[in-house]
Amino acid sequence: MRLAAAARGAIPAELGELASPQWIGRALLVIGGAIVLTYPLISDDLFYQNLIILSLLFAIGAVGLNVIMGWGGYISLGQSSFIGLGAYTVGILATRLGGSPFVWLPAAGLVAAMFALVLGAVATRLRGHSFVIATIAALFLLQIVATNWRGFTHGTTGITLPIPQWDVAYQNWPFYYSLLGLLVLALLVSWRIRKTKFGTGLVAIREDEDKAATVGIDTPVYKSLGFALSAVFLGMAGGVYGYYLTFLDPNGMFDIVLSVQIVLAVILGGRGTIWGPVLGAFLIEGINELANQQLGGGNSRLLIFGGLLALSILLLPKGIIPSIEDLWKRRRTEGAAALVGARLNGAPAHAGDGGASPAPRTGSPLLEVRGLQKRFGGVHAVDGLSFAVEEGSITALIGPNGSGKTTAFNLIGGTMSADGGEVWLDGRRIDRLPPWRRAYLGLGRTFQITRLFGQMTVLENVVSPLRSFSVAQLNAGAMSGPEANRAEELLEFVGMREFRDQRAAELSFGQQKLVEFAQVLMLDPKLIMLDEPGGGINPTLVARIAEMIRDLNRRGTTFLIVEHNLPLVLTLCDPVLVLASGRCISSGTPGKIQKDPLVLDAYLGEDFKLEEPVGAH
Amino acid sequence: MTELIQTIAFGLLVGGVYALLASGLTLIFGVMNVINIAHGAFLILAAFLTFTLWSALGIDPLAAIVITTPAMLAFGWLVYVLTVRPIRRAPPSSSVLLTFGLALVLEAMMGLIWGNQSHAARPSYFTESFHISGIVLPKGQVYACALAAVVLACLWLFLARSWTGRAIRAAAVNPSGAELVGIDIVRVSALTFAIGVGTVGAGGALVSVLYPFLPGSHYIWIARLLGIIVLGGMGSLRGALIGALLLGLAETFTQTYVSAQWATAVPYAVIFIVLLVRPHGIVGMRLREDVAA
Amino acid sequence: MASRTLSLDSVIAGYGYGDVLKGVDLEVERGSVTCIVGPNGAGKSTVLRAISGLLRPRQGTIRFEGADVCGVAPAEILARGIAQVPQSNGIFPNLSVRENVLIGAYILRRDRNLVQRRFGTVAELFPIVGERGGEKAGNLSGGQRRTVEFARSLMLDPSLVMLDEPSVGLDPKALRVIAQAIEQMSSAGKTLLIIEQNVRFGLRMSTHGVVMESGRVLMHDRADTVLNNPEMADLFFGGTVTAAPRRATTPA
Repeated sequence: MRLAAAARGAIPAELGELASPQWIGRALLVIGGAIVLTYPLISDDLFYQNLIILSLLFAIGAVGLNVIMGWGGYISLGQSSFIGLGAYTVGILATRLGGSPFVWLPAAGLVAAMFALVLGAVATRLRGHSFVIATIAALFLLQIVATNWRGFTHGTTGITLPIPQWDVAYQNWPFYYSLLGLLVLALLVSWRIRKTKFGTGLVAIREDEDKAATVGIDTPVYKSLGFALSAVFLGMAGGVYGYYLTFLDPNGMFDIVLSVQIVLAVILGGRGTIWGPVLGAFLIEGINELANQQLGGGNSRLLIFGGLLALSILLLPKGIIPSIEDLWKRRRTEGAAALVGARLNGAPAHAGDGGASPAPRTGSPLLEVRGLQKRFGGVHAVDGLSFAVEEGSITALIGPNGSGKTTAFNLIGGTMSADGGEVWLDGRRIDRLPPWRRAYLGLGRTFQITRLFGQMTVLENVVSPLRSFSVAQLNAGAMSGPEANRAEELLEFVGMREFRDQRAAELSFGQQKLVEFAQVLMLDPKLIMLDEPGGGINPTLVARIAEMIRDLNRRGTTFLIVEHNLPLVLTLCDPVLVLASGRCISSGTPGKIQKDPLVLDAYLGEDFKLEEPVGAH
Repeated sequence: MTELIQTIAFGLLVGGVYALLASGLTLIFGVMNVINIAHGAFLILAAFLTFTLWSALGIDPLAAIVITTPAMLAFGWLVYVLTVRPIRRAPPSSSVLLTFGLALVLEAMMGLIWGNQSHAARPSYFTESFHISGIVLPKGQVYACALAAVVLACLWLFLARSWTGRAIRAAAVNPSGAELVGIDIVRVSALTFAIGVGTVGAGGALVSVLYPFLPGSHYIWIARLLGIIVLGGMGSLRGALIGALLLGLAETFTQTYVSAQWATAVPYAVIFIVLLVRPHGIVGMRLREDVAA
Repeated sequence: MASRTLSLDSVIAGYGYGDVLKGVDLEVERGSVTCIVGPNGAGKSTVLRAISGLLRPRQGTIRFEGADVCGVAPAEILARGIAQVPQSNGIFPNLSVRENVLIGAYILRRDRNLVQRRFGTVAELFPIVGERGGEKAGNLSGGQRRTVEFARSLMLDPSLVMLDEPSVGLDPKALRVIAQAIEQMSSAGKTLLIIEQNVRFGLRMSTHGVVMESGRVLMHDRADTVLNNPEMADLFFGGTVTAAPRRATTPA
């Protein structure tokens, strides 16, 4: 039965593949690229040259926006700010200091990037909709400043750029080819970003920003950087565009509809793809010309683009290219055995060269918690919590529901900030540090309900953590190279190597747990905090995970484990810390804890006496 | 000194009208977590409606409030059912893009129907003013602010005293708890959106008298309203009132002591300063979310 | 039999990655205060969800006052007389105490007289509703808020009230407050089914106790019998309680 299905899949695949979106897309790309590259050389038609020039402008804008929006998940309706900034920079410098406007293009890019960095630093502190509002506000503010600051920008009278000096025979070639060059540059940078850990970090931020922070991703810097990259080429393109129009004025240069068109280009073409924004840009410009030529521009143009924006959100939120890919994938995987459903290998992970004896315990505390406090409303979730975790140990943290275990983890890990108290890791105070700094210092943490970056592959998930903040780490290849190799080794260790190209969202709960574990190991942490590693999975898998923990511990990693599965705790961990009502009430070996009356009280409930026994009426 | 009191008085009158306009926007956000960028466009639409009622039928624009309010309420319900309800499970940024698209569509349609020139409804009392111990208060402004206060009072009464009002307030703070007592969240959302648009239906009549407008005016208005709710705290009606009065004062002061041109920059400046310094606004109903694992 | 208000028979239910309830048999007597205890993951909350219609069991039956209520929609369950007070955050802090209670009768809002009468009855039972009716519920302490939630649950005059971990987050003083409130509900004739993490608190104020573990009922007996069972401690520390008689030996 399986053989027949495989046979059915094999033969037409050869021919069928040629008809796949991949190959058709590549063919279209080559043809389209050839046309765009040679058009001005072949034809004198200024109308179509103009069409392509504007398309290139949109494309540069869209490719840039895709970095912060498609990958980072932050939508900006203010991208035309950068067009205007670039145009005005070039215009002002060229008219005041002389020289060809082309010479001043790098300055345009610089100004745009710097504005983006500043705006990003302010606006990305907040999430989702606040960021969009801020970008819109920035655009309008720039327009007002350009209108009012007459001395600098001539206000609504505008700036007129010098007429081009080159031979008329060359027509618009300099504009055309400089924009084309900028687009190629933007695409190259974009492509490079996606292949590096910077790119996977951006997608991680989009998928789960708080989780990304815990694996070493410095989210504010990533977001600002992404935003600045979205701006730099668009700024330069804006400079070319301004020169092309020869006339700059605030309304034309800081036009909100242009921003909408750029966003539409990304949405329609497909967010998060390399070529989607380019396709979308050419489409949008086509519609733009249609509205201008056939429908009289003005209100019709607004109607079309407003309607398109609303409709695309309602009906086709994914975009054209991803929708086609999805459709094709669905057709091809019918009948093929899905890798995901396969049973995990029951044998324990390969132990490597670890010895049989447990790791040497130094007796000194690796983690120290002193007097932690955290209130939610009127409830003290954590109330003067103090404990220490010995280096080299596998320490358990147990306690009844509501005792504050998960809150403690959140406070130590940095996803919540404490109302009082201190946390020390390896002799350094960490409670004021953001989560990624704690990761750099050697703290790793998993979550009770696994948090992975669903739209990325298993390998990308394990590659994305950052061990330290450096250009080298950011620029490191995500799919190949030393980082990727290390990730594959870790996947091998947890037994998930065959799943490396599977989308994380498609894994089962147990499989996700293993991947999350590998993710944390990527950080090479000194202390790993595991939140219910044995929860929700079958006993074989629990045993396997326990074996991995022991193995890593032998090689020097300290563990702090929250668990409800007490048999697991009792065989794996020593010492055991008991939490109740937000405090640590007891600690000791498993045997001692089991017999401690304080602990019994905690689990069974305070010795509570009613005035009258129930049922006495 | 008189100039100072004049500026303050005028600023408060302006802010009073702003408060009515912003109340709907903050209510919609509070209950549905939707930022309705089309709020300004709905406002201008109501203004155009009022203008037509005044110029074609001779109805006093301020009195036209009794027609525009229910009309916009119904229109708001329709818009919700057709466009907002389908995306209620999408992330908040989707609603921003969707309502932005709606705003552009409305702007285009108003332009096609009424044209892109500046309009204003100018009843006879528009040029008259009250003179109180040396302070000049234009009659139109005073009547408008009084009407705004009346509508706001009705809104407050509705929310505080009626069953539906309670359901709306409950849903704003605890949607899952509300569902457990049998409140239909979708219906409550639809009603909230309709009421929100209804308030700018009332506000539009006032604006048609006080400010010249054209289809493209919705940008400055949504900027003002966003500035107000960001300043006051998104989702809080009390915050909207405080924010509105403050913005009214800020704009009036800038107009008197700096220049009329820079006054248009005030809402945007407010947005940035608030986001920088105190993102959850003055009254800050939505507390900073602590992430639970 | 008339004395059995609620009965579950071999109920199997789960969420997709495995069954949480693996064959639950449970009978709740009319007028009793029954408390379900057990370690984490035993399935206690899942039992409540199955009864209240939020989770449809794969197998087994649930009967309430003789009628089959397995898989019935939550709104219908409410109408049949089963009310539930959820574990946390049922309160609307921005509404007044009075409004918090009134909103429990939301589905009856058209019958003003009925609502007023019910409110009167509830206010008599829980003085705090009358005494602090005008205050914002957000200003009350944890125990007081919980009491207000109990009051709200009675607005539909249910015959069965289910409480999901009423003691969570409360200090000893507050525990006394809600124990009293539970007492009052029982004396008003309601049957109570309580899930409790705090074993001693739960069993001390109940007439009957049920012990669950790994999706099954291990013990169902008089509350004091269950509490004094020496194997209870083992249960929470990874051992297991030897199966004891399923039914209560004598009603309280």
